[in-house]
Amino acid sequence: MRALATTVGALACALALAVGATGATKADPGVGATTIKIGGTVPLSGVASAYRAVAVGAAAYFKYWNDTNGGVNKRKIEYVYLDDAYDPSKTVEQTRRLIQEEQVFAVFNSLGTEHNLAVRPLLNQAKVPQVFVASGALSFGRDYRSNPWTIGFLPTYVAEGTIYGKYLRATKPKSKIAVLYQDDDYGKELIRGLKKGLAGRGRIVAQQGYDVAASDVNSQVARLKSSRANVFMVFATPKFAIQAFIQANKLGWRPQMFVNQVSSASNVMKIIQSSAAPLASNALSIGFVKDPTDPRFKKDPAIKLYNRVMAKYAPGADVKDVYHVYAMAVAREFINALAHAGNPPTRAALMRAVTHMNDKKNPFLYPGVTVKTTPQARFPISQAQVIRWRGGHWNAVGKLVSARG
Amino acid sequence: MLFFSGADFAQQVVSGLSSGGVYASLALAIVIIYRSTGVVNFAQGEMATFATFIAWSLMNHMSYWPAFALTCLIAFAGGVVVERVVIRPVEGTSVLTIVIVTLGLALVFNGASSWIWGAQVKSFDSPFSTRPIHVAGVAFSIQDIGIIVVSLLLVFALWLFFQFTKVGLALRAAAVNPAESRFVGIRVGWMLALGWGIAAMLGAVAGMMAAPVVFLDPNMMLPILLYAFAAAVLGGLDSPLGAVVGGLLFGVVLNLVSAYSDFVGGTLKLPVGLVVILLVLLFRPQGLLGHTSVRKV
Amino acid sequence: MRRLGGLWELIVAAALVPVAFLVPHLVGDFRLFQLATVAVYFVAILGLAILTGWSGQISLGHGAFMAIGAYTSAILVFHHQWTDWLTIPVAGVVAGVAGLLMGIPALRLSGLYLALVTFALAVSVPSLIKKWESQTGGSSGLFLNLHSNAWLYRTTWIVAAILYVAAWLMLRGKFGRALRAVRDSEIAAASSGINLALVKTVAFGISAFYAGVAGSLLAITAAYVNPNSFPVTLSIYLLVGLVVGSLGGLLPLLLGAAFIEYVQVYASKLAPEKPGLPTLVFGAALILAVFAVSAIRPLVDRWHTVREQRGPAAVEET
Repeated sequence: MRALATTVGALACALALAVGATGATKADPGVGATTIKIGGTVPLSGVASAYRAVAVGAAAYFKYWNDTNGGVNKRKIEYVYLDDAYDPSKTVEQTRRLIQEEQVFAVFNSLGTEHNLAVRPLLNQAKVPQVFVASGALSFGRDYRSNPWTIGFLPTYVAEGTIYGKYLRATKPKSKIAVLYQDDDYGKELIRGLKKGLAGRGRIVAQQGYDVAASDVNSQVARLKSSRANVFMVFATPKFAIQAFIQANKLGWRPQMFVNQVSSASNVMKIIQSSAAPLASNALSIGFVKDPTDPRFKKDPAIKLYNRVMAKYAPGADVKDVYHVYAMAVAREFINALAHAGNPPTRAALMRAVTHMNDKKNPFLYPGVTVKTTPQARFPISQAQVIRWRGGHWNAVGKLVSARG
Repeated sequence: MLFFSGADFAQQVVSGLSSGGVYASLALAIVIIYRSTGVVNFAQGEMATFATFIAWSLMNHMSYWPAFALTCLIAFAGGVVVERVVIRPVEGTSVLTIVIVTLGLALVFNGASSWIWGAQVKSFDSPFSTRPIHVAGVAFSIQDIGIIVVSLLLVFALWLFFQFTKVGLALRAAAVNPAESRFVGIRVGWMLALGWGIAAMLGAVAGMMAAPVVFLDPNMMLPILLYAFAAAVLGGLDSPLGAVVGGLLFGVVLNLVSAYSDFVGGTLKLPVGLVVILLVLLFRPQGLLGHTSVRKV
Repeated sequence: MRRLGGLWELIVAAALVPVAFLVPHLVGDFRLFQLATVAVYFVAILGLAILTGWSGQISLGHGAFMAIGAYTSAILVFHHQWTDWLTIPVAGVVAGVAGLLMGIPALRLSGLYLALVTFALAVSVPSLIKKWESQTGGSSGLFLNLHSNAWLYRTTWIVAAILYVAAWLMLRGKFGRALRAVRDSEIAAASSGINLALVKTVAFGISAFYAGVAGSLLAITAAYVNPNSFPVTLSIYLLVGLVVGSLGGLLPLLLGAAFIEYVQVYASKLAPEKPGLPTLVFGAALILAVFAVSAIRPLVDRWHTVREQRGPAAVEET
């Protein structure tokens, strides 16, 4: 009896070793025979639910790609997005659910700075790719040595501020600048960039912060006006940006307006234009994603595709919302990277692919904007176009500029 | 850096009165429910937002004043229905239970607003001109004055209603002494519903006054609700005129503190509301214009 | 919340202990994380029950005490390299002291007024956290150490069990009777020699201690704290859990905690395409739960009354 057991045991071990030796490894989680599952967290409810568009647009594009191309390497992409109600503790819970219960291959396109920071240690410890974070915070691209499994997508807020600083330095060197900013990392990084770009030419004479839970920013704008600045930087989210323009206009202040990219969507600018036309005119911002309501892109094949995809795969959504276009730009890059991540794809190969991107032809981005990364330069989009609002839409000013983080 | 120029100070005061007008109109709704039912309705802000969204939809099909009037009627009916369906089952229970139900209502209305109209910011017309007028270096618009005038008119109308109409008297009786009112034949239950209906209508007006200024989105009323509570407490929870006075005063104080204190700045405005509520309730709970109530043994 | 379930409740609780040991072998790893979160809510609701159910004082701002506890732990771990679970009692004490301080003005505020003040406190919490950025990390937040789901499950439930037993003992004894007397009639209680101010203030302090511990556990399970984790809705959800679990005694509060966690989970699964639906569902569930509890509670009370009337054996509990 004992001899038999020992023999069986030895045979079993030998078999196990043999299997191991052939390198028949288990596939990474989320990789099936005909599907591959990815997931992310977005605020589907609560104060930031307008940003859910980044998930809705990407989901629509993946469905379109699955239907027209059968997915990537014959695997259809299954994209799961969960609600974190813009609460980082919930982001932690939902992300744990994604990797432990839903068993996703990668965490893709999760939205929010603090939210992605909250789960970054978890994901890097578990070696799960955290790709194309929907936040412009510098840390996601800069801190890759301690977080090799993380990468962003947007031009960083610091880079954006730098562009504004450099623009002023070149065109209005003695400017006196007033800044309204949201009192968190997003607002503060924009200011940091601004100072960097100014490099001493031009002074910030007043800055006023507001809390994201505020009802209005009118008293801050009044204080900023009393600084007699001739440039007004609005580093605020749409609701407050609109209020800032209107209040400044009401007070009879006529500075050169700058509005940050997050609030530069055409539907927001149209509201501003209808109530504060003198200030809306000639307002400056940056852009890198094609706006679906911009007449310049009406005949653009990418926007036509965008409209078709939205109509078929996201019929209830607001097609005028530019975040959907952004979402498709990101989704497309993910598909590209996945195609280069092996067959069957592995997580390590995916990270290799996203740190070796070089796509000059993403149709959803402004012409000329290249999506490019190296393992040490993890800022996929590092160019943007300075744009000026005139005639009811944005117009390009000069050439594409660098937006390196 | 403090800019003490006279014109700047005057501007901050004027801006404060303007925001204060918005707080006053919501505070009025809160006071009316408190006076007629003894309850503080934590859903007041969200109901106001919901009504404002209804007005926004209506304004796509008709001009401002008909939409305004129709919204008021719908809000009134809605308030009555809410009281009969949601509040009545818990009427006799503790304060805590009713407060919790109003909190549940707040979540329901907030969710419904997002669901039906989406989370994108929308603009909302004002019945008054928003053209800036400059007087002695201070800028304001007819709209700012309009909000304050509307609130005062509502206070006057409510006063007439409560003092001189049969229904108004019945409402007051039912609130003060429900048991004896029943003896006299007053349908106390329907009086409570009436109170909610009126308050809902006032809330709708508050929302339609606020939206042109702060812009319409499902969460527009949360900070305003806190400030409206502060205003109502400051003016006296049972005084409609107090709600307006409290609102204007609080608006100015909040603006000045936020503008001239670097510590408070733009980031500690909500705690100012907390401090005002706490101090008033501790040291003068009846507020500026309210009446003290005696605790019966 | 009128009566403690008495000895019966403790027996049921004891029976649950072996179940708690079995659970990790029966459910998936992620479920353990969810159950750890349920433990967090349970501890917070226990505290709220002591304050509201037993001493009759309303608090719409318990999220603020959770925030104090959470940030105490986070600051100790992040800035001073403490071992995380050692910070739990410290967090409780810091929050408890804050509760005592809050209890003093609360003496002069009753019912609705206290609700207003605590509501205002809850709304202000995120701004206050952001103000003291150098310590709290402002909106970037602070990080704590990662742990396995199994470790989190064990730690949170051990703490919850200890605090549950502590609450049970506290409320059985003289203090519990004093609390109930105060809740039922302050004037009668005062005239029978109870020091109203002391009892009510201590109740606030203990309640805040519990919330602080819950906050600390929350920080440890999420391994991250941030001002956005303590919105006013957190305080509201704790009340929800209290009402839903208020069938009598302390153990049913477990149901309340589970309710908060799982309704959020399932509400957001219902209709991901449309914004706002999760919030709406949660609000509707809250209202229906209140109705259900209001309908059930008179029945539960009547059952208790009948049992008491049955004879001296039932008189051991009041």
